[in-house]
Amino acid sequence: MTGHRRSVLLASPVVAVLLALSVAPLALVLLWSFWQWDPAIYWMRPAFVLDAYQSVVGTDRLIVIVRTARIALITAALALLLGYPVALFMDRFATARERTILMLLFLVPFFTSYIIRTFAWRLVLGRTGLINSFLVRAGLREEPLEWLLFSDFAVHVGLLASYLPFMIFPLLLAFGRIDRSLIEASEDLGGTFGQTLRHVILPLTAPGMFAGSLFVFVMALGSSVEVQFLGGAAASMIAIMIQDVIRVLNFPLAFAISTSVVLFLILLLIVGSRFLGLARLFASVAR
Amino acid sequence: MVDRENEGTVTRDHASNISRRRLLSILGMGGSALGLATVPLARRGFAQPSKATVRYWASGTMTIEKFWAQLERDEGIKVVFSDNGNDPGPVVSRMVFGNANDLYDVGGLQGGAEKELALRNAIAPWDLSKIPNWNDVWSWAKEIPYTQVNGKQYGIPAVVNADSMIYLPQKVGKVDSYHTVFDPKLKGKTAMEDAWINSAIFTAIYLKENNLLKIKDPGNLEKDELQGVMEFLIKKKKDGQFRTFWNGWEQGVQLVTSQEVWVMTGWEPIVYAARRAGVQADYAVPKEGYEGWSNDLLLHRGAVDRKLSEAAHRMANWILGGYYGAALSKLRGYVVPTDHSAMAAAKSGGEFDAKVQADLNQHVKNKFFSKKGATHWQNVRPTHFQLYEEWWQKLRNA
Repeated sequence: MTGHRRSVLLASPVVAVLLALSVAPLALVLLWSFWQWDPAIYWMRPAFVLDAYQSVVGTDRLIVIVRTARIALITAALALLLGYPVALFMDRFATARERTILMLLFLVPFFTSYIIRTFAWRLVLGRTGLINSFLVRAGLREEPLEWLLFSDFAVHVGLLASYLPFMIFPLLLAFGRIDRSLIEASEDLGGTFGQTLRHVILPLTAPGMFAGSLFVFVMALGSSVEVQFLGGAAASMIAIMIQDVIRVLNFPLAFAISTSVVLFLILLLIVGSRFLGLARLFASVAR
Repeated sequence: MVDRENEGTVTRDHASNISRRRLLSILGMGGSALGLATVPLARRGFAQPSKATVRYWASGTMTIEKFWAQLERDEGIKVVFSDNGNDPGPVVSRMVFGNANDLYDVGGLQGGAEKELALRNAIAPWDLSKIPNWNDVWSWAKEIPYTQVNGKQYGIPAVVNADSMIYLPQKVGKVDSYHTVFDPKLKGKTAMEDAWINSAIFTAIYLKENNLLKIKDPGNLEKDELQGVMEFLIKKKKDGQFRTFWNGWEQGVQLVTSQEVWVMTGWEPIVYAARRAGVQADYAVPKEGYEGWSNDLLLHRGAVDRKLSEAAHRMANWILGGYYGAALSKLRGYVVPTDHSAMAAAKSGGEFDAKVQADLNQHVKNKFFSKKGATHWQNVRPTHFQLYEEWWQKLRNA
């Protein structure tokens, strides 16, 4: 038996488990999304119809998908902007002890329920919250800022607070993989910190930037609590919309929404791979 | 999803149910006791009860936990309670198409699903002649429209109450109309619940009773009525009328205690929670009337097939007999629509607080007899419930 065959044989159980756990459910979701919901039996009947997909388009549900994607993209971009300097500082300038303390600080909020964490932002951003109280008492504002809470701003704050560590930790891993001699070579050749950052560090941490952005984007895409607690009146996200649909038992529609989201994500990955070279970054991560 | 079953224990709880239970328990009737005196009313009409086990699948708030032991002592009926999650959609689905009729004998659900379940033969009508305590149920509770189908009693209201608005009198003065929720002067200071089951009916009550829209039944809107109601809500949302739409007990309380919202439709116990937090809040007596709601006992078709109908009727009679009502009020602050619970509390030798029970009963009665407006009953399964969801989505996107 060749080495290649042996490795294929050894990997096959794991591959089978992965297929069973990830591909099979997705295939079922895709299949059921074409079935027909029958109000007479409160269940789906086998069929191949586009009713559910027509509902996705016909009742403005696409708007929710696009809106959710926009919020997730902005959150990922903001997380990168905030997370990169933090990771850079932790890797390049902090001592080992400081790095450990900072990592713990980012982790401690996760020891509590995410619902509590999100809810706490109401006490900070609200009309009588910490920020508005300070602004009014300091004489900086006569009236509290209404847009701090129950707004897209508040949603982004909540999402960033929830998912920022998922940007920082992949970045730290990427920083850790940089060969220090490359940075020293740049400095020895007279490169300023800015030049070293631009020409050495940024390209070498690109896989971490992408991995972190992907984590944050996907997690924000599936979030609901932040919008329910901090968003405007009856604001929606994909997860909330699916909840609403499941509540009235329209399962094919719920599956059609899920399929649309998965297709949207695949499309994004294809575009990213073609125009941003994301596949190469994946390969880099794999190495 | 598989339900874990435990005698006298809530096994699975829906978020909103937890909220209800918690918020109602704040009425100051905590504590528990075992070994209470038997309430004679519960035994009326059954000389030699046979032993049976009844599997009761209801909203998590309907269990009286260890107090169920009294039913076994009184009637020889052992109750195995399972929480149904209180979400009408999945409950109806499991009743009609799933295995709920195989697994459970008696159901308990917010009113409105009876017609659908009866027409699909998932539930059977109660034989009221076998439930003598039914005669003493408050007359208006007997007339809740959704509990009857084709003249037969399919739902027995085990709990009744009515909801309106919570408001801050120091900010908005005395509130006696739903108009306040939609008043442009209070733009950004009002809220409604993030659920069409409640918010559509509140809006419909307002529009109907003020002759702003022709509506026959706010609890079961026709397509054009629903369109009118939802377009009104969508316009109000676009105008920035609502600060937010609230979800669950904690959010509701926080909105009021932080004074983020000055008036909102919601549950009365939020008022008590706000007062305990030092915020003066009141519960409105709206001129348009309340949104009444009931949690109804349902006789599963499967129980009839399994020859458990007799035991189910004895259990229903016991639930209306007083002891259950006193225990439920003590645990949750809920009211069973009969004076038997007050009588049971009075005879309990101090285990139940007779005055608290009587006051609670009277408080709920007053809502229905305020005569300020009609009571419009909540309906968890309006005819066009799919359309409700579609409109709610449009509201979300607006």
